[in-house]
Amino acid sequence: MKTSSRDQGNVRIVAVEGDVDLNSSGELRKLLFEALHGAKRLVINLGAIRYLDSSGIATLIEVLKESQKTKTEFALFAMSPAVHEVFRLTHVIKIFRVYENEEQAVGGWA
Amino acid sequence: MQPSESRSRSGVRFKAAWRLPSDPAFLPVVRGAVEQLCAVFGWNESEARSITLAVDEALTNVIRHAYHKRPDGVIELICEEKESILEFLVSDTGDAPDPAKICARARESQAAGGMGTHIIRDVMDTAEYQRSGMANHLVMTKRLKQSVEGK
Repeated sequence: MKTSSRDQGNVRIVAVEGDVDLNSSGELRKLLFEALHGAKRLVINLGAIRYLDSSGIATLIEVLKESQKTKTEFALFAMSPAVHEVFRLTHVIKIFRVYENEEQAVGGWA
Repeated sequence: MQPSESRSRSGVRFKAAWRLPSDPAFLPVVRGAVEQLCAVFGWNESEARSITLAVDEALTNVIRHAYHKRPDGVIELICEEKESILEFLVSDTGDAPDPAKICARARESQAAGGMGTHIIRDVMDTAEYQRSGMANHLVMTKRLKQSVEGK
């Protein structure tokens, strides 16, 4: 798994790439918690995720809950059919703000 | 095709076994093989991904709950074509699963854990937990597609 981060205005955009599973979800959790603090809005690009398991979903739920504590707006975008399938199987899609692309995600609060 | 025949053109039934450490670094290796296997048996991409996810969740549960993330445990996975099903048998000698925790999470819950066993139950046709001696077994089955001719 690889990640990259950049700021656009007051929105922090984190892109996640590769496999998010038991081997990498702890690292992703640490990284996203760090990204959350100091950001007004955090949006995650899921477009380059090759594989996602329930530990990856659990990580995103934890980040969502932390964002509610820190009053940081949190959203996901660019969900591939494979990633969407995992969200569907875990029945948690409704708790996230999900956008089709970065433009919508960044402008989603405008 | 008779029910007792293999789904492959050769007439030989498929069987593969892995013996792997309880180290999550090996999970992508198994996932790659299972996904390819599902494609050979005629499942479409989405179905193959779901079956692979279910097998991966079973292995992940063993690593997390039976071996508590110690990488030196042994996990055995046997994939075997039987009559009209593909069977996945996951075995370990770690702590036994707590039956009260299997699918204990409410489906619409916002809790961050407990999703793996639901995925297994939803994707597979059957999933049965067994204990024999010091070993834990999870037997999962998925009904095969009608034919894989032309593969």
